[in-house]
Amino acid sequence: MKRISIVSAVAVAGAMVLSTLPAQAADPGVTSTEIKLGLSSPQTGTVALSYGKLPKAMKAYFDYINANGGVYGRKIKLIARDDKYLPTQAATQTTNLVLNDKVFALVGALGTATHTKAYTAAQLAKNNVPDLFVNTGFSGFDNKTKYPTSFLILPSYAMEAKIIGKFIADTPTLKPQASFLVAQDDEFGVDGVNGFKLAGHTFTKTTLYPQGSLSSALAEGALTGFSAAPGKPVIVLMGTTDTTATILKAAEKLSLTTKFNWIVGSVGGDANTLLALGVKSTTIDGVMAASFFPDAKDTSDEYVSQFMKINAKYNPGVSFDNVVLQAMNTAMLTVQALRAAGKNLTRAGVISAIETKGSTFASAGLAPLNYSTTSHVGYNGYWFGQLNAKGELLPYITGKRTLYTTDSTTTSAPVLSTYERKPIPKNGIPTN
Amino acid sequence: MKNINLKKGLVALTTAALVATFAVVVPSAARAAEPSCSVAPLALYNVANVTTCTGVDEKGSKYEIRMPAKFNGTLFLYSHGIRKSVNLPAIPVVAPTGYVVDYSPEVAPSAEVATSLLKQGFALAGAGVQAQGWNLTEQTYAALLLSHEAQMKFPKISKVVAWGNSLGALSTQALAEQYPGTVDAVGNMCPSDSGLAEITMAGDFLWGLKTFFDPTIKATGYSAGTAGYMEMLGDIQKVLGVIVALKTALAINPTSPTWPTTSTVPAAYQAIPVRSAILLIGLVSGVSTQSKTYDASSGPAGAGETSFGLVLSPALAVLENGAEAALLAIAANYDMEIRAGGIIYDNSKTNYSARLGEDGDAFAAPLSGKTFTGYMLSILAAAPRVTADPAAVARFKQMYDLQGKVTVPTINLAATADHITPPGATTHFLDLYDAQVAKTRAGVEGASQAGLVTTIWNRPSDTYTTFDKDGKPVTPDVWPNGTGHCNYTTSQILLVAKMLAASAKSGKSPSASTVAAAIKKDANLFVDPNYRAPLFKYRQ
Repeated sequence: MKRISIVSAVAVAGAMVLSTLPAQAADPGVTSTEIKLGLSSPQTGTVALSYGKLPKAMKAYFDYINANGGVYGRKIKLIARDDKYLPTQAATQTTNLVLNDKVFALVGALGTATHTKAYTAAQLAKNNVPDLFVNTGFSGFDNKTKYPTSFLILPSYAMEAKIIGKFIADTPTLKPQASFLVAQDDEFGVDGVNGFKLAGHTFTKTTLYPQGSLSSALAEGALTGFSAAPGKPVIVLMGTTDTTATILKAAEKLSLTTKFNWIVGSVGGDANTLLALGVKSTTIDGVMAASFFPDAKDTSDEYVSQFMKINAKYNPGVSFDNVVLQAMNTAMLTVQALRAAGKNLTRAGVISAIETKGSTFASAGLAPLNYSTTSHVGYNGYWFGQLNAKGELLPYITGKRTLYTTDSTTTSAPVLSTYERKPIPKNGIPTN
Repeated sequence: MKNINLKKGLVALTTAALVATFAVVVPSAARAAEPSCSVAPLALYNVANVTTCTGVDEKGSKYEIRMPAKFNGTLFLYSHGIRKSVNLPAIPVVAPTGYVVDYSPEVAPSAEVATSLLKQGFALAGAGVQAQGWNLTEQTYAALLLSHEAQMKFPKISKVVAWGNSLGALSTQALAEQYPGTVDAVGNMCPSDSGLAEITMAGDFLWGLKTFFDPTIKATGYSAGTAGYMEMLGDIQKVLGVIVALKTALAINPTSPTWPTTSTVPAAYQAIPVRSAILLIGLVSGVSTQSKTYDASSGPAGAGETSFGLVLSPALAVLENGAEAALLAIAANYDMEIRAGGIIYDNSKTNYSARLGEDGDAFAAPLSGKTFTGYMLSILAAAPRVTADPAAVARFKQMYDLQGKVTVPTINLAATADHITPPGATTHFLDLYDAQVAKTRAGVEGASQAGLVTTIWNRPSDTYTTFDKDGKPVTPDVWPNGTGHCNYTTSQILLVAKMLAASAKSGKSPSASTVAAAIKKDANLFVDPNYRAPLFKYRQ
């Protein structure tokens, strides 16, 4: 008779216990009890006023999910690092997230220049690190050869420009006016310029400026020049919110706010932030803006109201706005992606899951998601609205949102969309 | 360690002709003789009873061996970094009190490291190579001779660890590859890439300075003899003049600094902030955007915090680093041209737009936007280029080129913001090694085995720039760890030495857990098998 090995017996017993838990995966950042996610975004510096709420809002949603069982029993731990919206810092912090913190995936990275540098520096492709729901509209991130693990969430700047171009052409009060574009002279602005070209819209003048360089004096000089145009010219602003604020305040100083028809791109059009930056509510009143979301103040929207509840409980004292909405929506998509990858969670599994099932995820976005094995594009459409003095974005004139969808690369005109988004999962907890 | 077949080594190197071709400034070569030895405590290092042997090898290289009384059997054979090959008069920054070519032997990276290793019972040896400058061939050979000499003199040496800094690391790896069996472990610290890769980086930066700021800089094609020497000195003066002008302009108006008066760039283009031109030539040549003072992120507290880190800091870092890179380019290129007998730097076909690559996106703001970047690239595209002399390049290429052949445990230590030998050199070596391992897996005999190379990366702290009460950046007395050239702490070097000694004994690389434990307390060191620093632009 063989002697029974106590060690073997313990090992068998241990294996029986372990078999009831999700299988251990080999990829970093995931255990039987936890999934570590990383976020590099500005928490300090001038851009933090606009986007500083992202980490805590995202964490609030994950805390809510954790309190409701997590993802197949695993709690989500979000590690947020401050990159100040600086490319070198983004590269450093993203590398820290991957090498030091050993996160399973990145989520919600913000910015074009920052993430371009970070993606390469942290070697996300080589490490096959899922780069989930990147907050930039730079269409270059849809290049699967260069960024095989990245999934965009925002529609591209080129799509936005095409839809703005159509909006101007279709709006009788805007079409005959002179038009001016003020945009960042980088991938952000260039993507937009290309989109307007695809839309066939020609500006009377295009002013490009390097990020962070548009001073009040330069803004005043530009507006003074534009104001020489007759009628009520159209000014399209494609920059970050702080720059939008600089330009609108310059218009206030020059008493030119009503001289122009203002169209603000989605990146720089958050009304709460504009007001916080000192723009007058009377200036915001009437500004036209594109969006793919419901308005963050629209409590009749089921996603907004559910996220507001979560924000009140898990992110107390922080006002609910478009950034919080965006953050929670990103977090909800992330939970669905993790669930879609199954209990045996791997990096390759998450990437594959988004490619095959991502277009069916529930989302607050009013435009469809376009994930597939050949596309890592998120939303592809916008509706047009007009801000009121309270900072609410309301459908332009008609009182009903009109959604257009398009692509980033062709001259085909944006098309009217009949897309109906999925209802929010019960209590905002995905069960896909 | 196997027996060294010195005769075979001598033939393999075909050195007589090669060394003669590349000889630059050679001191009167004494015949190799028995080293002169004395036993004494090393007062400076507070080490008791060390036998110090000095001598001159058959090629004229001075050497030194230090043998502690309580020897543990392992010799550390050190190869020093590049030194200037010509005497220089007093020149600010470059040689404030003048420079006389230094042929003195160097046995360790620093006195502190030497002290510690001697106290631990390790023997040390190093040469002062008879020909300075880009002396890869001569230094490899000097190390080979010294290894042999040390073992002849001290038969109780049972293990040899070869290690080196910068060019010395390149020659150390060359020694290990060309003479397998000579050494038992290899340490490559701040390793240099090949001469052509290095001179392309430094030469591109110098050519950029010339093109944008002073076209009278000669940069390449120095005349023979005294005339060439004077041309080289003249270039140093001109580059210093440009750097001083740029620093002055940046101090007066950092946001919109003026261009140097020596620039011939059309006035319309000089509307571009000159800091963007500095950054551009740094990015296309591969000079680090993190330097002694500037981390490319921090800004003074207040409204300008973000914009300083975003717009100014990377350019200021490139200027701080590039000043050294350009001056190195002049001295190194002058030396290399003499060695090779003609121009070896070549940018006749370089596409600087492609070189900029996605750095143009990441640094769009400090480059003053896509439009201005395009203008600056158009200037570089239209500027007269340099074409190398094919015969000179062919002669230069006779020097050994690394193959990635590794037969003994090898440890790399590379800093991510080294501005003289960027970490891409290590990446290139790792790529070569991986290719060799793949050959082995494919059944090719004589290729490298897997698992023999460990790479420790040294990076700066996330942020390190400090500012005074007026918001002015403060230049520290010493380079922050992770920046600068071969700027390792004594403890970092010693932890590498400890692992090398253990590997030499066991014949095995340190385990992942051993390395992790060794670097655990050092936040500036990391190990990741999947990490690769960007290659030199020359190789991209």
